Amino acid sequence: MAATRVGPRACDIFTTMEYGPAPESHACALAWLDTQDRHLGHYVDGKWLNPEHRSSVPCQDPVTGENLATCLLAQAEDVCAAVEAARTSLESWSKLPGAARAQHLSRLAKMLQKHQRLLWTLESLVTGRAVREVRDGDVSLAQQLLQYHAVQAHTQEEALAGWEPMGVIGLILPPTFSFIEMMWRVCPALAVGGLRLLIQESVWAETLRRLQARMGRLRSGRGLDGAVDMGARGAAARDLAQRYVREAESLGAQVFQAGDVPSDGPFYPPTLVSGLPPAAPCAQAEVPWPLVVASPFRTAKEALAMANATPRGGSGSVWSERLGQALELGHGLQVGTVWINSHGLRDPGVPTGGCKESGSSWHGGPDGLYEYLRPPGTPARLPAPSENLNYDTFGLTVPSTLPAGPEAGPSPAPPYGLFVGGRFQAPGARSSRPIPGADGSLHGYVAEGGAKDIRGAVEAAHQAAPGWVGRSPGARAAVLWALAAALERRAPTLTSRLERHGVGLKAAKAEVELSARRLRTWGARAQAQGHSLQVAGLRGPVLRLREALGVLAIVCPEEWPLLAFVSLLAPALAHGNALVVVPSGACPLLALELCQDMATLLPAGLVNVVTGDRDHLTRCLALHQDIQALWYFGSAQGSRFAEWASAGNLKAVWANAGHPRAWDQEAEGAGPELGLRAARTKALWLPAGD
Amino acid sequence: MSAHNQGTELGKGPGLWAECEVTWKHEEAKEYCNLEGSGKAHREDLSWISKIQVNQPAVLRRAEQIQARRTVKKEWQAAWLLKAVTLIDLTTLSGDDTASNVQRLCYKAKYPIREDLLKALNMHDKGITTAAVCVYPARVCDAVRALQAAGCNIPVASVATGFPAGQTHLKTRLEEIRLAVEDGASEIDVVINRNLVLTGQWEALYDEIRQFRKACGEAHLKTILATGELGSLTNVYKASMIAMMAGADFIKTSTGKETVNATFPVAIVMLRAIRDFFWKTGNKIGFKPAGGIRSAKDSLAWLSLVKEELGDEWLTPELFRIGASSLLSDIERQIYHHVTGRYAAYHDLPMS
Repeated sequence: MAATRVGPRACDIFTTMEYGPAPESHACALAWLDTQDRHLGHYVDGKWLNPEHRSSVPCQDPVTGENLATCLLAQAEDVCAAVEAARTSLESWSKLPGAARAQHLSRLAKMLQKHQRLLWTLESLVTGRAVREVRDGDVSLAQQLLQYHAVQAHTQEEALAGWEPMGVIGLILPPTFSFIEMMWRVCPALAVGGLRLLIQESVWAETLRRLQARMGRLRSGRGLDGAVDMGARGAAARDLAQRYVREAESLGAQVFQAGDVPSDGPFYPPTLVSGLPPAAPCAQAEVPWPLVVASPFRTAKEALAMANATPRGGSGSVWSERLGQALELGHGLQVGTVWINSHGLRDPGVPTGGCKESGSSWHGGPDGLYEYLRPPGTPARLPAPSENLNYDTFGLTVPSTLPAGPEAGPSPAPPYGLFVGGRFQAPGARSSRPIPGADGSLHGYVAEGGAKDIRGAVEAAHQAAPGWVGRSPGARAAVLWALAAALERRAPTLTSRLERHGVGLKAAKAEVELSARRLRTWGARAQAQGHSLQVAGLRGPVLRLREALGVLAIVCPEEWPLLAFVSLLAPALAHGNALVVVPSGACPLLALELCQDMATLLPAGLVNVVTGDRDHLTRCLALHQDIQALWYFGSAQGSRFAEWASAGNLKAVWANAGHPRAWDQEAEGAGPELGLRAARTKALWLPAGD
Repeated sequence: MSAHNQGTELGKGPGLWAECEVTWKHEEAKEYCNLEGSGKAHREDLSWISKIQVNQPAVLRRAEQIQARRTVKKEWQAAWLLKAVTLIDLTTLSGDDTASNVQRLCYKAKYPIREDLLKALNMHDKGITTAAVCVYPARVCDAVRALQAAGCNIPVASVATGFPAGQTHLKTRLEEIRLAVEDGASEIDVVINRNLVLTGQWEALYDEIRQFRKACGEAHLKTILATGELGSLTNVYKASMIAMMAGADFIKTSTGKETVNATFPVAIVMLRAIRDFFWKTGNKIGFKPAGGIRSAKDSLAWLSLVKEELGDEWLTPELFRIGASSLLSDIERQIYHHVTGRYAAYHDLPMS
């Protein structure tokens, strides 16, 4: 019986001891596609819609290139219909008690469990990924995610009291997104990429040898084979990898390729590239899959510098026998997730996200929930209706400012400089703008800041940032409290300045008083920054750290010239950020008044205040690549510009879309939202074991 | 030197690690196999042993993954299962062992799979037997006699040195080895002294195993680490290294009598130790998991683990054994199913 079969016979295999094919049947995936006539429409309002006159895109098997199905290209009206349907069901869905929503979610989890074979074969078929990776990783994790969020929904009324749903959420997923990442809603820039690997010089040869031995055992093949480590990602991915390797080789890099790769189909072997000069063009580019680029380093400090010298900040792992050193490196890495002596672990309760160009949104854990919730006490706001905004010219030029007429009085009002690097400096443009009081008379002159001043301010902030982050939360709190005391000593001046700006005496006094309180509140909160410990799947804790963003730019609102300035400054400083602030345009004098105290109390360069044309300064800040986050409170147009321009380095943007905020209210002036925005999360995995 | 030992001297040239070149010249590496070396060089080497650290969470994760990542089906499965048969040390280690059940075991070792099933696979003339039979020292004579009667030269392995606890005097433990060898055992499975591992007396452990090695003479030495009682994976690695340096031909996971026997995490650590030792000295040491390996599926997982970690060259009886008693009958049932398409009743297959 065996002898009549084609292919190698048992007695041959007995000698070679090779692996054979272990195909997973994908009949159920094809059968399901057949129920859709191999043509997938839009899933809207619980129905498959197939609107006419839409062009379609083929969905292909990346290995064979065979057409599996076609999908529709949606048009604007299709999106409108979907949003409308979502809006309708939001009404009933958001009114459901948490327990009922939890039931729906856990029912969906059960559905996944019942039909997991369909899901994993379909996923593997379409993406070319190894089936065991999808089966053992994605599908079970997807279930865990649903279950986790079911529990969250169940406890929402208590644990997240007051937080409201955002409303209809639009998710745009890139083409490389897999099923599990749809489940995670992982931010697009976290998308797949290769690895770069840093190895200490002293163990370089030994590590590479081990790596090569391990790579030699990897098996590539059709994703639906149950005994394959790597699938294929289509011809385009193979060509990309090929180009990269050729370029690296031409630059003198050593290339090691190993593994058992089928000759038919768009497979590419796992490849180790070493000795690539760091200045080579491809060393800067994203490493394509399935490549590993290894570089040696001499000291831990150098490794940190090399690891952080990339625009990406998704995740990283640290391998070291010395826990102290591993933790130090873990703290220093500018990424969203750090694994100590492990890699690629995930758990629904642990947030996943990133920083820098890997985006700043979070998924999973408490941080993932906040992304979709409105803080308590903040009204629901729809985005302002879109109007044409010329991104090229917004804030490009500064209208010239002329002297406000002859100055009266015994001595002329001295112009305030820009507060940069801990002292008042003359602006690069050497010109000033008059600030009128409420009655139209001249209140004072402030400096007209520009692009060069912003550059200087950002540099000063970067110099001050490491020192400030290094201070203990207690020390930071003490500084904020000292600033509050200084603000109170300056109360008479501040009050009279507010009065000249047209604020009533009582209201002015209240604003000054509240401002001092804000500083103390955030000083106190600095001591409890929300670091937390979680226990995840593998034995050992996950530290959820709240880390400073780095250099944060704040464009303050026009209203509440003192209170808004302080309310934004305090949480930002409390969480360890260094700031570049553009104060209220109508009345920047209060912020500058406070700068006189900051000059003596704060480290030089920690807070920099730049006055001038707000649109112009916003443009300069948003287009600056070395600012980690931007808070903008101003016009709807300014908000849109800030968001658009910040996409250049994917800095985290918080813009008010032209809506005024009640700064004197606790919820909007000192609520948890500010604390969430002022720091980013890092998940530090610490698997236990000897 | 037994035929197996010839196989362990394949690699030539100095070891990879720079610091080892001083102490691990090839001549010396050869010498310690013959037990004529001074031992001084190896003592100095023990300092690096204490620095070894095993990343337990990473080992656990790899162990979890490796079982799910490889599978063989159809013809491949049948061939792999037959290979597994040839790697089995068919074992009986019970208090009630007598000449009759030892004899049955020996016949099963000679004819592990029903002849017609082998014929269907065209494997009947490949001389498929188990790798060895493994018994208590007092039953070695019975086994040798039975195998002679069956007309085959399957080696007889004997456990020794106060198996399974090893808690007897060194003098009697050494005497036990000599007696078993005298009775005709050509392979000796010794248990190490766990006390020495747990108290960190690596040099004393090294000396003991060297004495075992000497007592074995020409016989093959398998060193049972009893990993379930060593406390940590780091200790497993260190004990593996010491055993190999002291001249073991095989390192073996467990006696089968501990509460925890052959597990994948432990195996990964031992296999990595074997690979490191090979890279260092060019000597290939064998691996023997034992205890709790009962199903055909288990045996396939062990084969693929060794294939992944050490490569195809280790998939021979000279370098890989599986200690088992009930495994063989499950493999035979699977082969029966592969050939006939039916599941066998227990009475369809001869008992051992």
